Amino acid sequence: MDRARHPDLVNDVDEVLITEEQIRAKVAELGAMLSRDYEGRTVVLVSVLKGSLPFMADLMRAISIPAQIDLMEVSSYGGTATETSGLVRILKDLSSSIDGRDVLIVEDIIDTGLTLNYLLRYLRGKNPRSLRICALLDKPARRLVEISIDYRGFTIPDKFVVGYGLDYGELYRNLPFIAVLKPEVYSAS
Amino acid sequence: MPSGPNFAHGSEAELARIFDFYQVRWVYEPRTFPILWNLDGVVVESFSPDFYLPDFELYLELTTLKQTLVRKKNRKLRRLRELYPDLRIKLFYAKDFKALLLKYGRIDVAASLTGLEGQARPGEPLPARPGEPLPARPSAEALALRAERLAATARAAAVPVPTGEIPATTIPAPTATSRVARGRGSRRRRNRRLAASLPARPA
Repeated sequence: MDRARHPDLVNDVDEVLITEEQIRAKVAELGAMLSRDYEGRTVVLVSVLKGSLPFMADLMRAISIPAQIDLMEVSSYGGTATETSGLVRILKDLSSSIDGRDVLIVEDIIDTGLTLNYLLRYLRGKNPRSLRICALLDKPARRLVEISIDYRGFTIPDKFVVGYGLDYGELYRNLPFIAVLKPEVYSAS
Repeated sequence: MPSGPNFAHGSEAELARIFDFYQVRWVYEPRTFPILWNLDGVVVESFSPDFYLPDFELYLELTTLKQTLVRKKNRKLRRLRELYPDLRIKLFYAKDFKALLLKYGRIDVAASLTGLEGQARPGEPLPARPGEPLPARPSAEALALRAERLAATARAAAVPVPTGEIPATTIPAPTATSRVARGRGSRRRRNRRLAASLPARPA
């Protein structure tokens, strides 16, 4: 992002795609579904940093059954010049074993499916009893690899979105809603 | 994972790097699918998807030309789906590719990796490798050379592919529909000229 351009959280937003209220209602709905489906078990919620943090924080409080949480971070393509020529890396691994556990990956958005595809293979290698996916946002138009989503919040159109954890240049994550940025924000880059 | 294929376009090379990064297995242009035969059963049009992802049994065609110029490719893709209904193929347009670069914070190289700018040129490296400076804008001579090359590519598209590349089980016998050359008289005349110069369709 152009350092000379100062980001404006309010004025940079072109359109609010999903409001705070809609997110709250959907998270409650997902929490109820998960509580029902995992009844009698203790689920391990695995969140992928950083974008999933707000969703994870809200979802875990919407679940009424025993739940443990863990965090992972995976390097992203293009983060640095060296990363574009390397391989995806686990920057932060699970802090506890998931062997024989019921694991639910909590994702903010699934678009290409590349990161999640890698993560699924990695976590399957740790022998969980079950491994499911809960994504707040699904952008199927951008899918490159097939991913089966077990719990889906919203299917969104083919737009670049920010807010509620999602960033552009590490900014806009703290918006309480899901929004589309004005095109001039990108063109300034 | 294969290494070092001669990518025709910078966007293909970039997408291959993205697949490599996320450890998704890929093959570059592994198959050519005949999609049109002339009245003598000779292949006059074929389609070679850019990538095959074996783990997902998915073909991927990347076209970073302007949206208005992809009509021909869309037509070929429709034809491919008619003839090979079990084939899973996804077309990735320029806007999709740009969105991918935006997602990975590399929108700055989008212009050099899309359209004619990203076309591989004889004797010139593909542009926008990570960490490398973008190449200078092409000269008028280079643009003329590229236009000539594109025309040659278009002509070559009508040449039948080696039979070894195409499993016999996936080649449909020319149907009444496939035998009908689409378009007007000029295409039929072209097909007749091609038919005279091409080998016969494998049995």
